[in-house]
Amino acid sequence: MAKEAANINGVSIDDTFAEAFGMTGTAIIITADSAKWAMQSAVTMTGFGTSVIGCGAECGIDRELSPDETPDGRPGVRCLIFSFSPDMVAGQLKNRVGQCVLTSPGSACYNGLEAKDKIKLSTGFRYFGDGWQTAKKLGARRFWRVPVMDGEFIAEDTVGVTTEAVGGGNLLVLGKDRVGLLEVCEDAVAAMAKIDDVITPFPGGIVRSGSKVGSKYKGVIASTNDAFCPTLRGAVKSELSPDTLAVLEIVIDGLTSKSVADAMRAGITSITGGGAAKGVTRITAGNYGGNLGQHHYHLKDLLP
Amino acid sequence: MSGFELKLKAAPAERLDLSGLTPSALAGMTAGDVAKIGIGTSKAHVTVGDVFTVAGAAGDTLRISGGSDRFDFVGAKLDAGTLVVTEEVGVFAAAQMKGGRLEIGGNVGLGLGAAMKGGVVHVKGSAGDLVGGLRPGEQYGMQGGTIVVDGDIGERAGDRMRRGTIIARGMFGKWAGTRLMGGTLWTTKGFGDEPGLQMRRGTLIAPSVSRMISTFGDGGMHDLTILRILSRDTAQRLGELSPPPLPAKVRKYSGDLSIFGKGELLLTS
Repeated sequence: MAKEAANINGVSIDDTFAEAFGMTGTAIIITADSAKWAMQSAVTMTGFGTSVIGCGAECGIDRELSPDETPDGRPGVRCLIFSFSPDMVAGQLKNRVGQCVLTSPGSACYNGLEAKDKIKLSTGFRYFGDGWQTAKKLGARRFWRVPVMDGEFIAEDTVGVTTEAVGGGNLLVLGKDRVGLLEVCEDAVAAMAKIDDVITPFPGGIVRSGSKVGSKYKGVIASTNDAFCPTLRGAVKSELSPDTLAVLEIVIDGLTSKSVADAMRAGITSITGGGAAKGVTRITAGNYGGNLGQHHYHLKDLLP
Repeated sequence: MSGFELKLKAAPAERLDLSGLTPSALAGMTAGDVAKIGIGTSKAHVTVGDVFTVAGAAGDTLRISGGSDRFDFVGAKLDAGTLVVTEEVGVFAAAQMKGGRLEIGGNVGLGLGAAMKGGVVHVKGSAGDLVGGLRPGEQYGMQGGTIVVDGDIGERAGDRMRRGTIIARGMFGKWAGTRLMGGTLWTTKGFGDEPGLQMRRGTLIAPSVSRMISTFGDGGMHDLTILRILSRDTAQRLGELSPPPLPAKVRKYSGDLSIFGKGELLLTS
C-alpha cells in the first residue's frame, strides 16, 4: 500500500497519483422544445460511452444550458465526447448524432467547443434529407436543415475539436460500508459535475469494476483489478486493509488537464467532507507506474 | 477610433471612383499623400484634394462628410475598419466588400453590395436596384456579409446571390431574389411583385407580398427552428440595427418550382 499523504476528517489519502492519457475531445450542444427532451436526447446520445476501448468513445453530459446560452433560444444540454483521434471522434459523432439526436423529437445539434481545429458534424446524417436538405450560413457558421416528420432537424456543419483533452483521471474510494460508500461517491460525482469541461463517463459517474492492464487469457487486454477486489484479499497481493469492504472508482475525462485536476480536487473535498461518517476510510488513485500516461495527478497536490 | 476625415468642398463636376478610399488603403499615408490620390473618371485627373479637404491621420476609420450621387464605388473592396459617409452615394457602394463596416447617411444608387463577401453595411436612406447582385463579369452576386437598409430597396435585389443577409425596414421592389442561390432577404414591410423568380435556394422573409408568382407552392404554417437561430444571430451581430425577432410560426411557400424548388418564401403575418 502507498504511504499516507494526509488524513482529513478521518479519511486517509494516499501519497500516490492518478495516471491519465492524452485524448481527443469535442463538445456538442443539443437543444429541444423542453429541457426534458433535450436531456432525453443527450442521455441517449451519450449512452454506451463508458470506455473508449469497448465503446469507441467516452461520452457524458457536461451540464444543462439555459435558453440564453443556446443558439436557438431553447433549453439545451452540453455533451462531451472523447476518443483517440479526431477521425474516431468524427465517426462517433456521425453515428451517435445520426441515431440518437436526429431521431429525437424537436431536437437540434450545435457546436459546443470553440477551437481552431474542426471536424464535420453533419457528414452522413444530412443525406437523410434525400436531396431536400439545405444549408443556411449565418456569419461564419453553417447550419444544415434536414426535413423530418416534426419539422426540420437542424445541425451545425462543424464542431471544434481539441487534441489537448485528457482521459482517465481517477479516484479510488475505499470504505467499510458499501451503501455508505456509494452515497459518498454520488455526492463526489455531483461536486465534480459543477466543474466545466469534464465528464464522469461511467454509470452515474461511478465504476465498480476497475481494471488492470492485461489478463491471463490471450487476447484480453484488460481484466479485473485484483489488488483492489475485497474478495481476493488473502489470495493475491492486495492493496486493501482488512476492514475494507468495497472500492469504487470515479473516472474523469476533461477537455483540458486543468479541468480534470479541478474535478479531482472537488471530488476529494466532497469525500473528505463527510465520508468518514458513512464508512469511507481511504482515497487512492490508479496508475501504471507512471510510464504509460502523459498526465500525472498527485493526490497530495489536490487536497482541499 | 481615429482616422482621416474628408470634407466635401463642392458638388463634384464628374463621377468619382472612391474605391481607393478605405482605412486599409490609406494606412501609413499622410494627409498630403491622401490629397494626391486620383479619384476622377475623366481626363481631368481629379484628385482627393480637388474635391475634399483632408484632416486627421491614418487610423481604423475614414469619415467622409457630405455626399453626392456621383460618389461611386464607396467602400468597394473594404476589408477592415469603418467607413462613414454622412450623405448619399452613387453606384456600386460596398461592391466586393470583404469585411469591416460601411455606414451611409443617405440614399444609395444601384448595385449596393454587388458580389460582397463580408462585413456590415448600414444605409440610413433607401437603396437602388440590384442590391447584393452581380458585378459585371462576376458569376455570383452577394456571397456573405449583411446589408441593412432603413428605407426601401429597388428592383431585383439579391440577383444570383449565394450567401449573406439583406434586411430592409421598408419595401423590396419588384422581382426581389431573382435567380437567388442562397442567403436571406428579410423585410419588415413587404415584397413588391413577383419575388423569387427562378429562385433555386435561399430564404425570402416578409409580412406580405404584393403579387406572388404562380410557381410557388403553399406549404402552410410552420414552426421553424432555423428562424430562432436567424433572429438570435442577427440580434447578436447587429445589435440595435437588428429587426424584431421573427414570430414562432410562419406560412411557407416553396419555389421557384419551375426550376428547382428548394427556396422558401416565408410570410410572417
